[in-house]
Amino acid sequence: MRGVVVGGWNYVIAAYSVTTAMLIVYAVSLFVRLTADRGPRTEDKG
Amino acid sequence: MNAENNRFPRTPYILLGLGAALFLFGSWWGLFLAPREQYMGDVQRIMYVHVPTAWNWMLAVIFAFVSAVMFLFTSNYKWDSRLEAGLEVSSLLAFLLCCQGSIWAKPTWGVWWDWDPRLTSVAVLLFAFVGIIALRNFVDDAARRAIWSSVATIIAAVDLPIVYFSVKWWNSLHQQPSSPKTVSSDFYIPLRVNAFAILFLMTGFIMLRARLASRRLANEVSTVPLMEAGETA
Repeated sequence: MRGVVVGGWNYVIAAYSVTTAMLIVYAVSLFVRLTADRGPRTEDKG
Repeated sequence: MNAENNRFPRTPYILLGLGAALFLFGSWWGLFLAPREQYMGDVQRIMYVHVPTAWNWMLAVIFAFVSAVMFLFTSNYKWDSRLEAGLEVSSLLAFLLCCQGSIWAKPTWGVWWDWDPRLTSVAVLLFAFVGIIALRNFVDDAARRAIWSSVATIIAAVDLPIVYFSVKWWNSLHQQPSSPKTVSSDFYIPLRVNAFAILFLMTGFIMLRARLASRRLANEVSTVPLMEAGETA
């Protein structure tokens, strides 16, 4: 081995998958909350 | 008068689109074009998401800190909405940072987690911010909620310099900070691209989350002047 990491693509794939998944899930949660919260607006038409 | 003072309604969506495109491009470069590192091999490719996440997490914490200070000075609720957004997005990035670091630690350190000063100080700040978010959900009074969470955020943010300098102050297992100046030119292009990608994504998230917070605040508290509750990010 001599201090060199061999292989490891499974860890790389895991790190990128976790990152992408979390960013997508958070973006979707934001859109869902914004859509759900778009109730009657407080507007002054005058 | 509209409860939402959205001066730039489409800006967060543009930022999110741009950030997603840059993230795909930077990740493709980091995974398939950048060379394999001499000692860590392909595992080093995790750096192209881990380091940009760390940089932007620090920016998000600074944003939350500035929002807290600005609220206490101005009592303007748009800063409270921004604080709420900063707390949530920085917690997301801190959690992501811990997951990426843990995945990188296993093949290089041999363990998923170590109570190393850098990792511990990041975890402390993550739990502190999650606690402040929980505090905000338990307090019904908007003024108290804003003041208490601002003070708590300022206290918690003291941990950020400890996070940054932990690898310098102590003989830490974690490596020294990386920057485009400390890595080979073969590596820093995907690093920079992903740094901007996550910066754009983070900014888009904060703007949308602040908009959500300001809507809820305007609906919740009729005593808060609408212009003050309005998010203007």
